Amino acid sequence: MKPCPEDIVRYMHDYLDGEITRRDEQILKEHLEKCPECQQHMDGLSRSVAFLKSAAPIEAPEGLASGIMASLPKERQGAGVRR
Amino acid sequence: MEDLIKKRIKQVLKGDQSAFEEIVSLYQNRLYQVCYRMLGNSHEAEDITQEAFIRAYINLHTFDQKRKFSTWLYRIATNLCIDRIRKKKPDAFLDAPVPGTEGLDHYSSIAHDSPLPEEEVERMELQDRVQYEIGRLPDKYRSAIVLRYIEELPLQEISEILELPLGTVKTRIHRGREALRKQMKTL
Repeated sequence: MKPCPEDIVRYMHDYLDGEITRRDEQILKEHLEKCPECQQHMDGLSRSVAFLKSAAPIEAPEGLASGIMASLPKERQGAGVRR
Repeated sequence: MEDLIKKRIKQVLKGDQSAFEEIVSLYQNRLYQVCYRMLGNSHEAEDITQEAFIRAYINLHTFDQKRKFSTWLYRIATNLCIDRIRKKKPDAFLDAPVPGTEGLDHYSSIAHDSPLPEEEVERMELQDRVQYEIGRLPDKYRSAIVLRYIEELPLQEISEILELPLGTVKTRIHRGREALRKQMKTL
């Protein structure tokens, strides 16, 4: 069996970054159709990305903002105080 | 939004501390989320988020107002997270190569607690599992991956936040995805 072109994995990542050229995408597609191992590699990468995207948004705990405001130094250094 | 922020920054610089509150409310969730995903611990994430805002406040006069404010803020927070992660590690053998880890040095492989038994990992709820797998990523890759996939930032902005060339950011994201793919073979 012919070894896989060495750029194939790089094309997979370019594809996932949305930065693949049309020509490279064609090469990748044709290769994946005939190489189950690379197809499996690609699927693994796609699954990893989907998995990361399934992370639920996280909100700051209540009271964080007021805690921050209360911890600020009283006057800014070098700031003109005109009242 | 950037216009509003710039207005508030000017007010803070003139001595109006209360104008900073709006800046905090606008960015607190994003900053806290990054810290939480990087550190994997809500108490530490709160601590570092607070510290990041205080540093931003103190150093606000150094912010170049022609740039994007969120990039500057993210940079402060990620630097603090990276410092915190480094301090937690034992400092022996940091650069010693670890056999069988394909160029990862000891520094990255002790990024997190030792892996849990497989049955335990398989029983995890999805959200716990997401955090667990992110936490197992070598920290060099973790910051890039978190900014890319949790914050959904463009590669160019990540390169400005981490102060790394675009090519290095891409490499870290590529390696992060590969590391995750290997970690997740059991999923």
